[in-house]
Amino acid sequence: MKKIAVLVFAGALSSSVATSAQAAQLQIDVAIPQVTEGEAHWPYVAVWIETEQEQPVRLVEIWRQKPDWLKDLRRFWRKIGRSDKALVDARTGATKGPGEYRLVWNGQDNQGVDVAPGKYVLVVEAARENGGRNMVKQAFDWNGSAVNFSIAAGSELGEIKARRVD
Amino acid sequence: MKSIIRGSAVTLAALPLWLSAHTMNLLPSHFVQAKTGSFVSVELFASNTTFQADKGTPVDGFQLYLPDGSVGKVQGSYQGKRKSLVDVALPVDGTYRLQNGGQPRFFTSYELNGEKKRLMGDKQKAAAELPKGASNVVTTQGRNKALAFVTVNAPTDTVLKPSGQGLEFTLDKHPADIVAGEAVTVTVLFDGKPASGVDSELMFDGELYRNEAGRQHFKTDAKGQFSFTPQSAGRYLLEAALEKDLKSAKADKIREGFTWAFEASMP
Repeated sequence: MKKIAVLVFAGALSSSVATSAQAAQLQIDVAIPQVTEGEAHWPYVAVWIETEQEQPVRLVEIWRQKPDWLKDLRRFWRKIGRSDKALVDARTGATKGPGEYRLVWNGQDNQGVDVAPGKYVLVVEAARENGGRNMVKQAFDWNGSAVNFSIAAGSELGEIKARRVD
Repeated sequence: MKSIIRGSAVTLAALPLWLSAHTMNLLPSHFVQAKTGSFVSVELFASNTTFQADKGTPVDGFQLYLPDGSVGKVQGSYQGKRKSLVDVALPVDGTYRLQNGGQPRFFTSYELNGEKKRLMGDKQKAAAELPKGASNVVTTQGRNKALAFVTVNAPTDTVLKPSGQGLEFTLDKHPADIVAGEAVTVTVLFDGKPASGVDSELMFDGELYRNEAGRQHFKTDAKGQFSFTPQSAGRYLLEAALEKDLKSAKADKIREGFTWAFEASMP
């Protein structure tokens, strides 16, 4: 757990160094709920940005144990996972227990290029062994104006909060 | 389709399954895999209620096509009473084609003393074996196949390409991209050309546990096409068949059919 937090932090740090100090970010807080019934496996979770036309823009992070089960994140698998192993490996972290985790989208696509201003969609998908699957989406304007939204909790994902930080 | 068969299927017990009112099924344990070197187990059976196995079909008609189009080897098989099973290895990334049947067979139907009868065999065989007084003699060349596609990691297209022989189909998207709520357009081909007026039926898993089977019927248009939108994620079976006159030394008619098992993924 600690190890992962450090890695995420280091990633955020290096990207802020690489880009200008004013670069806007989308802070994404993802909560993993406590499972009280049945086997409490930690969920596989993928967080990414799509265009309104449902094309993937940037894989933010993916948490998993064995790669064999990535296919159970059905949308993630179809949009990104099955065709770009190197990208997925680069953004992979371990599964996480109950708690709140902060992720950052740096406003760039998978090639590291700042995206054009426009409407984008945050997608979060979670699937748990012997549990259920959640997939939530929220569109937002990425054009310099404020972004601040939350997505209600489901069975496998707690509340998700996102806000733009300039 | 079943309705085509039903009228003339008088001696069901004596007929091979591909001629009976049953639907041929080929159902893989997984349609999508994230690991090369893994396996799928494939069930082969005939059914009336969709995906409810009634009778195991012979395993010797099973064929595996690897993503590069070459023929693969079956790892093991078992012919069961209710369902048969073959194990298939998936050594490389890409899309595999699994197929059962597909060999043409001939049968001759006739009437004798007002009773409908059949014998297995083409026109030559029928000429030698038909009893005296047989009337309404029609020889049919029949070919049925059951299909499914399994994809490991990134999808490929090689095994989706039609061969140009018999009844086949193409899609406007890859089978691994079929998603609940998104339309799919099917083009039915006969000998490589779009076939209009072909009857097909779309069936959704779980019929045993609901009152309405909810089967959808389609007829291909002038371009050989029809479209459907799977409403729910889950497993589906598409069945299509075509019957037409044939000018050949072996048969008067041709009857071709396929079933294709696939899954619609969650959005």
